[in-house]
Amino acid sequence: MIEFQNVSYSYNNSNGVNNLSFQIDDGEFAFLIGPTGSGKTTLMRLIYFDLLPDSGAVLTGKFSSEKMTKRKKPKARRNIGMVFQDYKLLSDRNLFDNLALPLYVLGLSSREIVDRVDEALELVGLYDKKLHLPSQMSGGEQQRSCLARAIVKEPNIILADEPTGNLDPVASFELVRLLETINEMGTTILMASHNYNLIKGRGRRILELKDGILRAA
Amino acid sequence: MEKLLYLITEGFKNIWRHKITSFTAIFSLFLTLVFIGLMATAGNNTHKILQYLRAKYKIEVFFKPNFANEEAVGVIHKIKKIPGVRTATLIEKEDALRIFKDQFGEDIMSLLGYNPLPVSAVVNLKRNSENPIKAGPIVKKINAMSGVEEVKYQGHLIKKIERTYYRILDKVPYIAGLIVFVSFLIIYNTIKLSVYSRKELIKSLELIGATSLFIKMPFLFEGLIIGFLSSVIAVPGILSSVGIVNYILSNFTNWGIRVSLDPTLWIWMFLISIFITVFGSYRAASSILK
Repeated sequence: MIEFQNVSYSYNNSNGVNNLSFQIDDGEFAFLIGPTGSGKTTLMRLIYFDLLPDSGAVLTGKFSSEKMTKRKKPKARRNIGMVFQDYKLLSDRNLFDNLALPLYVLGLSSREIVDRVDEALELVGLYDKKLHLPSQMSGGEQQRSCLARAIVKEPNIILADEPTGNLDPVASFELVRLLETINEMGTTILMASHNYNLIKGRGRRILELKDGILRAA
Repeated sequence: MEKLLYLITEGFKNIWRHKITSFTAIFSLFLTLVFIGLMATAGNNTHKILQYLRAKYKIEVFFKPNFANEEAVGVIHKIKKIPGVRTATLIEKEDALRIFKDQFGEDIMSLLGYNPLPVSAVVNLKRNSENPIKAGPIVKKINAMSGVEEVKYQGHLIKKIERTYYRILDKVPYIAGLIVFVSFLIIYNTIKLSVYSRKELIKSLELIGATSLFIKMPFLFEGLIIGFLSSVIAVPGILSSVGIVNYILSNFTNWGIRVSLDPTLWIWMFLISIFITVFGSYRAASSILK
């Protein structure tokens, strides 16, 4: 579960989010829309405690921003998978190593790591590319790799920040379908996008942000 | 255990993945270590130059004209007993005549009809002492001996050099400290740049829930490997430099000086390089994690 209780955060240049209150239940798939600069990324960063609110409280699973410490952050993030618009894949290692990294962090055995990585790659349809470097893959493949990296550690929550921003319409649609498949397995998903056409008519809740204020939830 | 193994392997892999930055770090650390090692070796061997100069401490003793060779032998025995004296060699009147002929090409005996040269002696001072020899009191003691007409000692220039040497020696710890500090800054910044080039990796690790220790460990191992490799390749660097210096000294000078290496130098070099690289990696990774 993700819960925002009167959360405000501002940067030095006064952008940010203002007095946000909403809740995303376990297993829910919600979209976050809004124009560039509306505060979508700030909201996401607040969820994984990369930012801590100036006022109010953010609850992500059993972790609260009010009690968040530097030592607790890694633990809180282990239950969150993240997908970014710019993929953030490590260019100096192949797909398998990119996906294995979060599992080494969790301290899994080599055998478990191989099994889980293979499983995640099969789910996103990139099993045969596991020895490829990110530079040897297309944008759509890289984004699916990023999604595989997010799901490989079997998190409770997946945050996807503009994951279709660099993809063509077909690849974007495929990615959303994949996210829906993962959601059907019980993972809570929050996906930020400014592409309203992609998310409308899917029967999911849409949170609309404008100038850091939640317009509809 | 597997986690630790992974972190160690990552340290090795990172060196391979970032060959150029790793090579730069190893090379700059190698140069610095060779420089520090040679400085330390030079500092450790300068006393040999002093000893060489001290070997030139020569006191010439001239006896009274009517002083017989046999009488001079007794005085020489007394001179030998003075602390700080290494040798005292008698130069008999006949020897002095021969030396004069060798040096000036004139047979003074056939010119004057008699030998005007007095019995004399050459006194050499001890050369192995770490402390400068106080030649003044020795000269005084010899002067006071019966039968001695004149004592000639030209060690003033050597004394001046010695004074300068000790003045420099006093400042050596500060100079060495400064060199080590500057070297440290250079290497630290090289390591820092190498770590900064992987800012992306550190940020990704943070986002996937890696602890600070997990993130830093591969960098620490990497630093350890870089430090180890640098100190290992610095060994032949220093050995060959010292070999070249010794070759020059033995083939192109007659100083009889041979540069020797202090065995503890390797331990110091190893510790310095490990400290700099591990500390540098730790600090650089920490600064990104803030």
